[in-house]
Amino acid sequence: MSGRRALRLRRRLLRVAADLTTWALVLAVAFPLFWMLGTSLKPSAETFALPPTLIPAHVTFEHFRTLLFETPFPTYFLNSVIVATGTTLLVIVVSLLGAYSVVRFRYRGRRLAAQMVLFTYLLPAVVLLLPLYLILASLGLVNSLLGLILAYTTFAMPFSLWLLRSFILAMPIDLEEAAMVDGASRVEAFLDVVVPQALPGIISAALFSFILSWNEYLYALVFNRQDHTKTLPPGVITMLQQNTNTEWSLLMAASVMMAVPVIVAFVFLQRHLTSGFGAGAVKG
Amino acid sequence: MRLKTSDSLIGVAFITPAATLFLLLVAYPLFQSILISFSAINTMTLKGHYVGLANYLDILQDQEFWRTLVNTLIWTAGSLVLQVLLGVGFALLLHRAFPGRALARSLVLFPYLLSTAVAVLVWRWLFNDLYGILNYGLVHIGLIERPIAWLSRMPEAMISVILVGAWKFFPFVVIALLARLQTIPLQLYEAARIDGASAVARFWDITLPQLSGVLAVVVLLRSIWDFKEFDLVYLMTGGGPGIGTQTLPILVYREAFPQLHLGKGAAIAVVMLLVMLVFMLLYLRQSARGDER
Repeated sequence: MSGRRALRLRRRLLRVAADLTTWALVLAVAFPLFWMLGTSLKPSAETFALPPTLIPAHVTFEHFRTLLFETPFPTYFLNSVIVATGTTLLVIVVSLLGAYSVVRFRYRGRRLAAQMVLFTYLLPAVVLLLPLYLILASLGLVNSLLGLILAYTTFAMPFSLWLLRSFILAMPIDLEEAAMVDGASRVEAFLDVVVPQALPGIISAALFSFILSWNEYLYALVFNRQDHTKTLPPGVITMLQQNTNTEWSLLMAASVMMAVPVIVAFVFLQRHLTSGFGAGAVKG
Repeated sequence: MRLKTSDSLIGVAFITPAATLFLLLVAYPLFQSILISFSAINTMTLKGHYVGLANYLDILQDQEFWRTLVNTLIWTAGSLVLQVLLGVGFALLLHRAFPGRALARSLVLFPYLLSTAVAVLVWRWLFNDLYGILNYGLVHIGLIERPIAWLSRMPEAMISVILVGAWKFFPFVVIALLARLQTIPLQLYEAARIDGASAVARFWDITLPQLSGVLAVVVLLRSIWDFKEFDLVYLMTGGGPGIGTQTLPILVYREAFPQLHLGKGAAIAVVMLLVMLVFMLLYLRQSARGDER
Protein backbone atom coordinates (compact mmCIF):
# COMPACT_ATOMS: atom_id res chain seq x y z
CA MET A 1 0.00 0.00 0.00
CA SER A 2 2.64 2.51 1.10
CA GLY A 3 4.73 1.42 -1.88
CA ARG A 4 1.97 2.56 -4.20
CA ARG A 5 1.69 5.87 -2.36
CA ALA A 6 5.43 6.41 -2.64
CA LEU A 7 5.20 5.71 -6.36
CA ARG A 8 2.40 8.25 -6.72
CA LEU A 9 4.39 10.83 -4.80
CA ARG A 10 7.39 10.19 -6.98
CA ARG A 11 5.27 10.65 -10.12
CA ARG A 12 3.92 13.89 -8.78
CA LEU A 13 7.35 15.25 -7.90
CA LEU A 14 8.58 14.33 -11.36
CA ARG A 15 5.66 16.17 -12.88
CA VAL A 16 6.31 19.30 -10.83
CA ALA A 17 9.99 19.15 -11.75
CA ALA A 18 9.08 18.88 -15.44
CA ASP A 19 6.66 21.82 -15.16
CA LEU A 20 9.29 23.96 -13.47
CA THR A 21 11.92 23.04 -16.05
CA THR A 22 9.52 23.95 -18.85
CA TRP A 23 8.80 27.35 -17.34
CA ALA A 24 12.49 28.01 -16.69
CA LEU A 25 13.26 27.32 -20.36
CA VAL A 26 10.32 29.40 -21.56
CA LEU A 27 11.44 32.34 -19.42
CA ALA A 28 14.99 31.96 -20.72
CA VAL A 29 13.72 32.19 -24.29
CA ALA A 30 11.51 35.17 -23.43
CA PHE A 31 14.23 36.93 -21.44
CA PRO A 32 15.24 39.35 -24.24
CA LEU A 33 11.63 40.56 -24.37
CA PHE A 34 11.55 41.28 -20.63
CA TRP A 35 14.97 42.90 -20.84
CA MET A 36 13.71 45.18 -23.62
CA LEU A 37 10.73 46.26 -21.54
CA GLY A 38 12.83 46.67 -18.38
CA THR A 39 15.46 48.81 -20.09
CA SER A 40 12.80 51.06 -21.64
CA LEU A 41 11.45 51.86 -18.16
CA LYS A 42 14.79 52.54 -16.42
CA PRO A 43 16.29 55.99 -15.87
CA SER A 44 19.35 56.43 -18.14
CA ALA A 45 21.79 56.20 -15.22
CA GLU A 46 20.35 52.85 -14.17
CA THR A 47 20.65 51.50 -17.72
CA PHE A 48 24.42 51.50 -17.46
CA ALA A 49 24.59 50.47 -13.82
CA LEU A 50 26.79 47.51 -12.93
CA PRO A 51 25.64 45.10 -11.69
CA PRO A 52 22.56 45.48 -13.92
CA THR A 53 19.20 45.59 -12.17
CA LEU A 54 16.89 42.89 -13.45
CA ILE A 55 13.75 44.78 -12.44
CA PRO A 56 13.93 48.59 -12.70
CA ALA A 57 14.56 50.15 -9.27
CA HIS A 58 12.88 53.33 -10.50
CA VAL A 59 10.23 53.22 -13.19
CA THR A 60 10.19 56.15 -15.57
CA PHE A 61 8.35 56.99 -18.78
CA GLU A 62 10.79 59.73 -19.75
CA HIS A 63 12.14 57.75 -22.73
CA PHE A 64 8.69 57.32 -24.19
CA ARG A 65 8.13 61.06 -23.76
CA THR A 66 11.45 61.88 -25.46
CA LEU A 67 10.61 59.46 -28.26
CA LEU A 68 7.23 61.05 -28.94
CA PHE A 69 8.21 64.70 -28.65
CA GLU A 70 11.88 65.03 -29.49
CA THR A 71 12.57 62.50 -32.27
CA PRO A 72 11.11 61.80 -35.73
CA PHE A 73 9.67 58.57 -34.29
CA PRO A 74 5.99 59.72 -34.60
CA THR A 75 6.51 60.39 -38.33
CA TYR A 76 7.99 56.91 -38.84
CA PHE A 77 5.14 55.41 -36.85
CA LEU A 78 2.47 57.18 -38.90
CA ASN A 79 4.20 56.16 -42.15
CA SER A 80 4.29 52.55 -41.00
CA VAL A 81 0.60 52.64 -40.10
CA ILE A 82 -0.29 54.06 -43.52
CA VAL A 83 1.86 51.59 -45.46
CA ALA A 84 0.79 48.52 -43.46
CA THR A 85 -2.91 49.46 -43.57
CA GLY A 86 -2.79 50.39 -47.25
CA THR A 87 -1.02 47.15 -48.18
CA THR A 88 -3.48 45.11 -46.13
CA LEU A 89 -6.59 46.70 -47.68
CA LEU A 90 -5.29 46.40 -51.24
CA VAL A 91 -4.08 42.86 -50.77
CA ILE A 92 -7.21 41.56 -49.06
CA VAL A 93 -9.60 42.82 -51.75
CA VAL A 94 -7.45 41.56 -54.61
CA SER A 95 -6.65 38.21 -52.97
CA LEU A 96 -10.20 37.46 -51.93
CA LEU A 97 -11.44 37.94 -55.50
CA GLY A 98 -8.49 35.97 -56.85
CA ALA A 99 -8.78 33.11 -54.38
CA TYR A 100 -12.51 32.77 -55.05
CA SER A 101 -11.87 32.73 -58.76
CA VAL A 102 -9.15 30.10 -58.55
CA VAL A 103 -11.24 27.78 -56.36
CA ARG A 104 -14.72 28.10 -57.88
CA PHE A 105 -14.21 28.64 -61.59
CA ARG A 106 -12.77 26.52 -64.33
CA TYR A 107 -10.64 28.18 -66.95
CA ARG A 108 -7.31 27.57 -68.61
CA GLY A 109 -4.25 28.45 -66.52
CA ARG A 110 -6.04 28.00 -63.22
CA ARG A 111 -3.56 25.42 -61.96
CA LEU A 112 -0.65 27.47 -63.22
CA ALA A 113 -2.02 30.46 -61.30
CA ALA A 114 -2.01 28.48 -58.06
CA GLN A 115 1.58 27.33 -58.68
CA MET A 116 2.69 30.87 -59.50
CA VAL A 117 1.23 32.09 -56.22
CA LEU A 118 3.34 29.65 -54.25
CA PHE A 119 6.42 30.35 -56.35
CA THR A 120 6.07 34.10 -55.76
CA TYR A 121 5.65 33.47 -52.08
CA LEU A 122 9.05 31.77 -51.92
CA LEU A 123 10.75 34.34 -54.14
CA PRO A 124 13.49 36.24 -52.26
CA ALA A 125 12.84 39.95 -51.89
CA VAL A 126 16.41 40.69 -52.87
CA VAL A 127 15.79 39.28 -56.38
CA LEU A 128 12.91 41.69 -56.96
CA LEU A 129 14.66 44.56 -55.18
CA LEU A 130 16.67 45.92 -58.10
CA PRO A 131 14.02 45.76 -60.86
CA LEU A 132 11.35 47.09 -58.48
CA TYR A 133 13.66 49.99 -57.71
CA LEU A 134 13.91 50.72 -61.47
CA ILE A 135 10.14 50.49 -61.92
CA LEU A 136 9.36 52.72 -58.95
CA ALA A 137 12.03 55.20 -60.07
CA SER A 138 10.52 55.39 -63.55
CA LEU A 139 7.04 55.92 -62.06
CA GLY A 140 8.36 58.59 -59.69
CA LEU A 141 7.35 56.45 -56.73
CA VAL A 142 10.70 56.22 -54.98
CA ASN A 143 10.44 57.97 -51.60
CA SER A 144 6.68 57.60 -51.53
CA LEU A 145 4.41 55.55 -49.33
CA LEU A 146 2.40 54.38 -52.35
CA GLY A 147 5.56 52.93 -53.89
CA LEU A 148 6.22 50.94 -50.75
CA ILE A 149 2.63 49.66 -50.70
CA LEU A 150 3.03 48.40 -54.28
CA ALA A 151 6.34 46.73 -53.38
CA TYR A 152 4.76 45.04 -50.35
CA THR A 153 1.99 43.46 -52.44
CA THR A 154 4.73 41.24 -53.93
CA PHE A 155 4.90 39.24 -50.68
CA ALA A 156 1.59 40.04 -48.95
CA MET A 157 -0.56 39.13 -51.97
CA PRO A 158 0.74 35.60 -52.59
CA PHE A 159 0.58 34.90 -48.87
CA SER A 160 -3.03 36.10 -48.55
CA LEU A 161 -4.07 34.39 -51.77
CA TRP A 162 -2.74 31.08 -50.54
CA LEU A 163 -4.32 31.40 -47.11
CA LEU A 164 -7.72 32.47 -48.48
CA ARG A 165 -7.59 29.80 -51.15
CA SER A 166 -7.33 27.06 -48.53
CA PHE A 167 -10.17 28.71 -46.61
CA ILE A 168 -12.51 28.85 -49.60
CA LEU A 169 -11.54 25.31 -50.62
CA ALA A 170 -12.88 24.13 -47.26
CA MET A 171 -16.18 26.01 -47.65
CA PRO A 172 -19.22 24.01 -48.76
CA ILE A 173 -20.57 25.16 -52.08
CA ASP A 174 -24.25 24.46 -51.24
CA LEU A 175 -25.01 27.84 -49.69
CA GLU A 176 -23.79 29.72 -52.73
CA GLU A 177 -25.81 27.46 -55.02
CA ALA A 178 -28.91 27.87 -52.88
CA ALA A 179 -28.54 31.67 -53.01
CA MET A 180 -28.22 31.54 -56.79
CA VAL A 181 -31.22 29.21 -57.16
CA ASP A 182 -33.12 31.85 -55.16
CA GLY A 183 -32.21 34.36 -57.86
CA ALA A 184 -29.05 35.95 -56.54
CA SER A 185 -26.46 36.81 -59.15
CA ARG A 186 -22.96 35.41 -58.97
CA VAL A 187 -21.62 38.65 -57.55
CA GLU A 188 -24.43 38.88 -54.98
CA ALA A 189 -23.79 35.32 -53.88
CA PHE A 190 -20.11 36.19 -53.48
CA LEU A 191 -20.81 39.27 -51.39
CA ASP A 192 -23.66 37.87 -49.26
CA VAL A 193 -22.58 34.27 -48.80
CA VAL A 194 -18.87 33.81 -49.48
CA VAL A 195 -17.46 36.91 -47.81
CA PRO A 196 -19.23 36.39 -44.44
CA GLN A 197 -18.24 32.72 -44.40
CA ALA A 198 -14.63 33.51 -45.22
CA LEU A 199 -14.42 36.17 -42.50
CA PRO A 200 -12.10 34.23 -40.13
CA GLY A 201 -9.76 33.65 -43.06
CA ILE A 202 -9.99 37.27 -44.09
CA ILE A 203 -9.14 38.39 -40.57
CA SER A 204 -6.08 36.19 -40.25
CA ALA A 205 -4.87 37.06 -43.76
CA ALA A 206 -5.33 40.75 -42.91
CA LEU A 207 -3.47 40.48 -39.60
CA PHE A 208 -0.58 38.55 -41.19
CA SER A 209 -0.37 41.04 -44.07
CA PHE A 210 -0.33 43.89 -41.59
CA ILE A 211 2.44 42.30 -39.51
CA LEU A 212 4.56 41.41 -42.56
CA SER A 213 4.31 44.97 -43.88
CA TRP A 214 4.82 46.51 -40.45
CA ASN A 215 8.07 44.57 -40.00
CA GLU A 216 9.52 44.86 -43.52
CA TYR A 217 13.01 46.35 -43.67
CA LEU A 218 14.84 45.83 -46.99
CA TYR A 219 12.45 47.55 -49.45
CA ALA A 220 11.87 50.35 -46.95
CA LEU A 221 15.62 50.82 -46.53
CA VAL A 222 16.30 51.06 -50.26
CA PHE A 223 13.22 52.84 -51.62
CA ASN A 224 12.48 55.47 -48.96
CA ARG A 225 15.67 57.29 -48.13
CA GLN A 226 14.15 60.59 -47.01
CA ASP A 227 13.17 61.11 -43.42
CA HIS A 228 9.55 62.10 -44.06
CA THR A 229 8.78 58.87 -45.92
CA LYS A 230 10.75 56.47 -43.71
CA THR A 231 8.92 53.68 -41.94
CA LEU A 232 9.73 52.36 -38.48
CA PRO A 233 12.29 49.58 -39.05
CA PRO A 234 14.81 51.62 -41.07
CA GLY A 235 13.87 54.77 -39.14
CA VAL A 236 14.67 53.30 -35.75
CA ILE A 237 17.89 51.77 -37.08
CA THR A 238 18.88 55.25 -38.26
CA MET A 239 18.36 56.43 -34.69
CA LEU A 240 20.76 53.69 -33.59
CA GLN A 241 23.44 54.73 -36.06
CA GLN A 242 23.15 58.50 -35.72
CA ASN A 243 24.33 58.92 -32.15
CA THR A 244 27.85 58.10 -31.06
CA ASN A 245 26.59 57.50 -27.53
CA THR A 246 23.86 54.98 -28.12
CA GLU A 247 20.86 55.70 -25.92
CA TRP A 248 19.79 52.15 -25.33
CA SER A 249 16.85 53.02 -23.12
CA LEU A 250 15.45 55.25 -25.87
CA LEU A 251 15.94 52.50 -28.47
CA MET A 252 14.29 49.95 -26.19
CA ALA A 253 11.34 52.31 -25.73
CA ALA A 254 11.10 52.53 -29.53
CA SER A 255 11.26 48.73 -29.74
CA VAL A 256 8.44 48.39 -27.23
CA MET A 257 6.30 50.84 -29.19
CA MET A 258 7.00 48.93 -32.41
CA ALA A 259 6.02 45.68 -30.73
CA VAL A 260 2.66 46.92 -29.40
CA PRO A 261 0.67 46.64 -32.66
CA VAL A 262 2.17 43.19 -33.21
CA ILE A 263 1.09 42.11 -29.72
CA VAL A 264 -2.45 43.32 -30.39
CA ALA A 265 -2.54 41.43 -33.70
CA PHE A 266 -1.05 38.37 -32.02
CA VAL A 267 -3.81 38.26 -29.40
CA PHE A 268 -6.43 38.20 -32.15
CA LEU A 269 -4.44 35.76 -34.24
CA GLN A 270 -3.71 33.06 -31.72
CA ARG A 271 -6.56 30.76 -32.59
CA HIS A 272 -5.86 31.15 -36.30
CA LEU A 273 -2.12 30.75 -36.03
CA THR A 274 -1.96 27.26 -37.42
CA SER A 275 -4.42 27.98 -40.24
CA GLY A 276 -1.75 30.27 -41.63
CA PHE A 277 0.61 27.36 -41.84
CA GLY A 278 -0.80 26.30 -45.22
CA ALA A 279 1.04 29.30 -46.56
CA GLY A 280 3.90 28.82 -44.16
CA ALA A 281 2.53 30.95 -41.30
CA VAL A 282 4.62 34.10 -41.42
CA LYS A 283 7.36 34.70 -43.90
CA GLY A 284 10.74 34.20 -42.28
CA MET B 1 -18.39 24.25 -59.89
CA ARG B 2 -20.37 24.16 -63.11
CA LEU B 3 -23.46 26.26 -62.49
CA LYS B 4 -23.23 28.11 -65.76
CA THR B 5 -20.40 27.97 -68.22
CA SER B 6 -21.01 31.62 -69.15
CA ASP B 7 -19.97 32.83 -65.76
CA SER B 8 -16.39 31.76 -66.33
CA LEU B 9 -16.13 35.36 -67.57
CA ILE B 10 -16.80 36.49 -64.00
CA GLY B 11 -14.10 34.10 -62.87
CA VAL B 12 -11.62 35.73 -65.22
CA ALA B 13 -12.76 39.17 -64.09
CA PHE B 14 -12.18 38.20 -60.45
CA ILE B 15 -8.61 37.02 -61.05
CA THR B 16 -7.70 40.02 -63.22
CA PRO B 17 -6.63 42.47 -60.47
CA ALA B 18 -4.38 39.87 -58.83
CA ALA B 19 -3.00 38.76 -62.19
CA THR B 20 -2.30 42.36 -63.23
CA LEU B 21 -0.39 43.11 -60.02
CA PHE B 22 1.50 39.82 -60.46
CA LEU B 23 2.50 40.59 -64.04
CA LEU B 24 3.47 44.17 -63.23
CA LEU B 25 5.25 43.68 -59.92
CA VAL B 26 6.61 40.12 -60.09
CA ALA B 27 6.78 38.63 -63.60
CA TYR B 28 7.99 41.75 -65.41
CA PRO B 29 10.57 42.66 -62.71
CA LEU B 30 11.85 39.08 -62.70
CA PHE B 31 12.30 39.22 -66.47
CA GLN B 32 13.89 42.63 -66.19
CA SER B 33 16.37 41.55 -63.56
CA ILE B 34 17.69 38.95 -65.99
CA LEU B 35 18.09 41.70 -68.60
CA ILE B 36 19.86 43.95 -66.10
CA SER B 37 22.25 41.14 -65.21
CA PHE B 38 23.55 41.22 -68.82
CA SER B 39 24.34 44.94 -68.63
CA ALA B 40 26.64 47.35 -66.85
CA ILE B 41 24.31 49.93 -65.30
CA ASN B 42 25.04 52.71 -62.84
CA THR B 43 22.45 52.67 -60.07
CA MET B 44 22.33 56.46 -59.75
CA THR B 45 22.21 57.58 -63.37
CA LEU B 46 20.54 54.37 -64.61
CA LYS B 47 22.69 54.63 -67.73
CA GLY B 48 24.44 51.58 -69.06
CA HIS B 49 25.01 49.16 -71.91
CA TYR B 50 24.82 45.48 -72.78
CA VAL B 51 27.85 43.46 -71.68
CA GLY B 52 26.73 39.91 -72.30
CA LEU B 53 27.97 37.39 -69.78
CA ALA B 54 30.64 39.71 -68.34
CA ASN B 55 28.92 40.15 -64.98
CA TYR B 56 28.56 36.40 -64.53
CA LEU B 57 32.17 35.68 -65.48
CA ASP B 58 33.21 38.45 -63.12
CA ILE B 59 31.29 36.86 -60.24
CA LEU B 60 32.64 33.37 -60.83
CA GLN B 61 36.22 34.66 -60.67
CA ASP B 62 35.54 36.80 -57.63
CA GLN B 63 36.97 35.44 -54.38
CA GLU B 64 34.51 37.58 -52.42
CA PHE B 65 31.55 35.89 -54.10
CA TRP B 66 32.72 32.39 -53.16
CA ARG B 67 33.55 33.42 -49.62
CA THR B 68 30.08 34.98 -49.35
CA LEU B 69 28.46 31.83 -50.70
CA VAL B 70 30.29 29.76 -48.07
CA ASN B 71 29.20 32.23 -45.36
CA THR B 72 25.62 31.91 -46.53
CA LEU B 73 25.79 28.13 -46.30
CA ILE B 74 27.35 28.26 -42.82
CA TRP B 75 24.69 30.68 -41.59
CA THR B 76 21.86 28.70 -43.16
CA ALA B 77 23.02 25.30 -41.91
CA GLY B 78 24.00 26.51 -38.43
CA SER B 79 20.85 28.40 -37.78
CA LEU B 80 18.64 25.72 -39.34
CA VAL B 81 20.06 22.93 -37.18
CA LEU B 82 19.53 24.97 -34.01
CA GLN B 83 16.03 25.95 -35.10
CA VAL B 84 15.06 22.32 -35.61
CA LEU B 85 16.58 21.15 -32.31
CA LEU B 86 15.01 23.99 -30.30
CA GLY B 87 11.79 23.63 -32.27
CA VAL B 88 11.38 19.92 -31.59
CA GLY B 89 12.36 20.35 -27.92
CA PHE B 90 9.98 23.21 -27.22
CA ALA B 91 7.16 21.66 -29.22
CA LEU B 92 7.36 18.54 -27.02
CA LEU B 93 7.56 20.64 -23.83
CA LEU B 94 4.66 22.89 -24.82
CA HIS B 95 2.53 19.98 -25.98
CA ARG B 96 2.33 18.60 -22.42
CA ALA B 97 -0.40 19.95 -20.14
CA PHE B 98 1.07 22.23 -17.43
CA PRO B 99 -0.06 25.33 -15.51
CA GLY B 100 0.03 28.50 -17.65
CA ARG B 101 0.58 26.64 -20.91
CA ALA B 102 -1.26 29.21 -23.07
CA LEU B 103 0.91 32.04 -21.76
CA ALA B 104 4.08 29.98 -22.14
CA ARG B 105 3.19 29.23 -25.77
CA SER B 106 2.58 32.91 -26.48
CA LEU B 107 5.91 33.90 -24.96
CA VAL B 108 7.77 31.34 -27.07
CA LEU B 109 5.96 32.12 -30.31
CA PHE B 110 6.11 35.90 -30.03
CA PRO B 111 9.70 36.48 -31.22
CA TYR B 112 8.67 35.05 -34.59
CA LEU B 113 6.15 37.83 -35.18
CA LEU B 114 8.40 40.56 -33.87
CA SER B 115 10.08 42.83 -36.40
CA THR B 116 13.61 41.64 -37.12
CA ALA B 117 14.77 45.22 -36.58
CA VAL B 118 13.39 45.10 -33.02
CA ALA B 119 14.84 41.65 -32.33
CA VAL B 120 18.25 42.83 -33.50
CA LEU B 121 18.13 46.01 -31.41
CA VAL B 122 17.34 44.01 -28.30
CA TRP B 123 20.09 41.48 -29.00
CA ARG B 124 22.68 44.12 -29.80
CA TRP B 125 21.89 45.63 -26.44
CA LEU B 126 22.26 42.21 -24.79
CA PHE B 127 25.54 41.63 -26.67
CA ASN B 128 26.86 45.14 -25.91
CA ASP B 129 30.56 44.84 -25.02
CA LEU B 130 30.57 47.42 -22.22
CA TYR B 131 27.17 47.30 -20.60
CA GLY B 132 25.57 44.20 -22.10
CA ILE B 133 24.05 41.84 -19.59
CA LEU B 134 25.39 38.83 -21.48
CA ASN B 135 29.03 39.79 -20.97
CA TYR B 136 28.28 40.77 -17.39
CA GLY B 137 26.67 37.42 -16.66
CA LEU B 138 29.43 35.40 -18.34
CA VAL B 139 32.16 37.28 -16.48
CA HIS B 140 30.22 37.00 -13.26
CA ILE B 141 29.95 33.23 -13.41
CA GLY B 142 33.56 33.01 -14.51
CA LEU B 143 33.09 31.58 -18.02
CA ILE B 144 35.07 34.44 -19.56
CA GLU B 145 37.66 36.70 -17.99
CA ARG B 146 36.79 39.99 -19.60
CA PRO B 147 33.92 41.23 -21.81
CA ILE B 148 33.95 40.00 -25.40
CA ALA B 149 33.20 42.23 -28.40
CA TRP B 150 30.76 39.67 -29.77
CA LEU B 151 29.92 41.33 -33.05
CA SER B 152 33.29 42.59 -34.20
CA ARG B 153 35.40 39.42 -33.99
CA MET B 154 35.41 36.14 -35.85
CA PRO B 155 34.13 33.55 -35.24
CA GLU B 156 32.12 35.21 -32.43
CA ALA B 157 30.22 37.39 -34.91
CA MET B 158 29.04 34.40 -36.99
CA ILE B 159 28.14 32.46 -33.85
CA SER B 160 26.14 35.42 -32.52
CA VAL B 161 24.25 35.85 -35.78
CA ILE B 162 23.44 32.12 -35.88
CA LEU B 163 22.22 32.18 -32.26
CA VAL B 164 19.98 35.18 -32.79
CA GLY B 165 18.66 33.64 -36.01
CA ALA B 166 17.84 30.46 -34.12
CA TRP B 167 16.03 32.47 -31.41
CA LYS B 168 14.05 34.51 -33.92
CA PHE B 169 12.97 31.69 -36.21
CA PHE B 170 12.66 28.48 -34.17
CA PRO B 171 9.07 29.34 -33.12
CA PHE B 172 8.02 28.60 -36.69
CA VAL B 173 9.13 25.00 -36.18
CA VAL B 174 7.22 24.94 -32.86
CA ILE B 175 3.97 26.20 -34.45
CA ALA B 176 4.15 23.61 -37.20
CA LEU B 177 5.02 20.71 -34.89
CA LEU B 178 2.44 21.59 -32.22
CA ALA B 179 -0.29 21.42 -34.84
CA ARG B 180 0.94 18.00 -35.96
CA LEU B 181 1.45 16.63 -32.43
CA GLN B 182 -2.23 17.17 -31.70
CA THR B 183 -3.20 14.78 -34.46
CA ILE B 184 -1.09 11.79 -33.38
CA PRO B 185 -3.55 9.13 -32.18
CA LEU B 186 -3.18 8.57 -28.42
CA GLN B 187 -3.82 4.84 -28.86
CA LEU B 188 -0.36 4.52 -30.34
CA TYR B 189 1.17 5.68 -27.06
CA GLU B 190 -1.13 3.55 -24.91
CA ALA B 191 -0.25 0.45 -26.89
CA ALA B 192 3.44 1.21 -26.56
CA ARG B 193 3.11 1.80 -22.82
CA ILE B 194 1.38 -1.53 -22.38
CA ASP B 195 4.24 -3.10 -24.27
CA GLY B 196 6.55 -1.50 -21.72
CA ALA B 197 8.24 1.01 -24.04
CA SER B 198 10.14 3.75 -22.19
CA ALA B 199 9.47 7.45 -22.79
CA VAL B 200 12.61 7.67 -24.91
CA ALA B 201 11.60 4.65 -26.95
CA ARG B 202 8.11 6.08 -27.45
CA PHE B 203 9.67 9.30 -28.78
CA TRP B 204 11.91 7.50 -31.29
CA ASP B 205 9.37 4.90 -32.38
CA ILE B 206 6.14 6.91 -32.44
CA THR B 207 6.55 10.67 -32.15
CA LEU B 208 9.50 11.19 -34.46
CA PRO B 209 8.20 9.05 -37.37
CA GLN B 210 4.83 10.80 -37.09
CA LEU B 211 6.52 14.19 -37.20
CA SER B 212 8.88 13.38 -40.05
CA GLY B 213 6.54 14.58 -42.82
CA VAL B 214 5.97 18.03 -41.30
CA LEU B 215 9.60 18.24 -40.34
CA ALA B 216 10.66 17.71 -43.94
CA VAL B 217 8.42 20.55 -45.12
CA VAL B 218 9.57 22.82 -42.31
CA VAL B 219 13.25 22.15 -43.06
CA LEU B 220 12.66 22.90 -46.74
CA LEU B 221 10.84 26.16 -46.04
CA ARG B 222 13.25 27.33 -43.39
CA SER B 223 16.30 26.58 -45.52
CA ILE B 224 14.77 28.68 -48.32
CA TRP B 225 14.03 31.53 -45.94
CA ASP B 226 17.33 31.41 -44.04
CA PHE B 227 19.28 31.32 -47.29
CA LYS B 228 17.66 34.56 -48.45
CA GLU B 229 17.62 36.28 -45.05
CA PHE B 230 18.87 39.85 -45.31
CA ASP B 231 17.50 41.83 -42.35
CA LEU B 232 18.82 39.79 -39.46
CA VAL B 233 22.39 39.33 -40.65
CA TYR B 234 22.73 42.81 -42.10
CA LEU B 235 21.38 44.52 -39.00
CA MET B 236 23.41 42.41 -36.57
CA THR B 237 26.84 42.88 -38.16
CA GLY B 238 26.44 44.68 -41.49
CA GLY B 239 28.21 41.63 -42.93
CA GLY B 240 31.32 42.28 -40.84
CA PRO B 241 33.88 42.10 -39.42
CA GLY B 242 35.32 42.58 -42.93
CA ILE B 243 33.14 40.24 -44.95
CA GLY B 244 33.14 37.61 -42.18
CA THR B 245 29.35 37.35 -41.93
CA GLN B 246 28.47 38.72 -45.36
CA THR B 247 25.77 36.58 -46.98
CA LEU B 248 24.55 36.65 -50.60
CA PRO B 249 21.59 39.02 -50.09
CA ILE B 250 23.95 41.50 -48.43
CA LEU B 251 26.38 41.21 -51.34
CA VAL B 252 23.54 41.94 -53.80
CA TYR B 253 22.56 45.02 -51.80
CA ARG B 254 26.15 46.24 -51.52
CA GLU B 255 26.97 45.82 -55.20
CA ALA B 256 23.79 47.55 -56.32
CA PHE B 257 23.48 50.40 -53.86
CA PRO B 258 26.58 51.57 -52.09
CA GLN B 259 28.77 50.51 -55.04
CA LEU B 260 26.27 51.42 -57.79
CA HIS B 261 26.91 48.27 -59.88
CA LEU B 262 23.29 47.48 -60.63
CA GLY B 263 24.12 44.90 -63.30
CA LYS B 264 26.53 42.90 -61.17
CA GLY B 265 24.10 43.03 -58.24
CA ALA B 266 21.36 41.64 -60.48
CA ALA B 267 23.67 38.88 -61.71
CA ILE B 268 24.41 37.80 -58.13
CA ALA B 269 20.68 37.84 -57.38
CA VAL B 270 20.03 35.63 -60.41
CA VAL B 271 22.73 33.16 -59.37
CA MET B 272 21.21 33.14 -55.88
CA LEU B 273 17.79 32.42 -57.33
CA LEU B 274 19.20 29.54 -59.39
CA VAL B 275 20.66 27.94 -56.26
CA MET B 276 17.35 28.37 -54.43
CA LEU B 277 15.29 27.11 -57.34
CA VAL B 278 16.21 23.53 -56.45
CA PHE B 279 14.66 23.92 -53.00
CA MET B 280 11.72 25.91 -54.30
CA LEU B 281 10.86 23.24 -56.86
CA LEU B 282 11.13 20.54 -54.20
CA TYR B 283 8.67 22.48 -52.05
CA LEU B 284 6.30 23.12 -54.96
CA ARG B 285 6.28 19.41 -55.77
CA GLN B 286 5.68 18.50 -52.14
CA SER B 287 2.75 20.89 -51.84
CA ALA B 288 1.25 19.80 -55.15
CA ARG B 289 1.30 16.25 -53.80
CA GLY B 290 -0.43 17.47 -50.64
CA ASP B 291 -3.08 19.14 -52.80
CA GLU B 292 -4.01 15.96 -54.59
CA ARG B 293 -4.50 14.06 -51.36
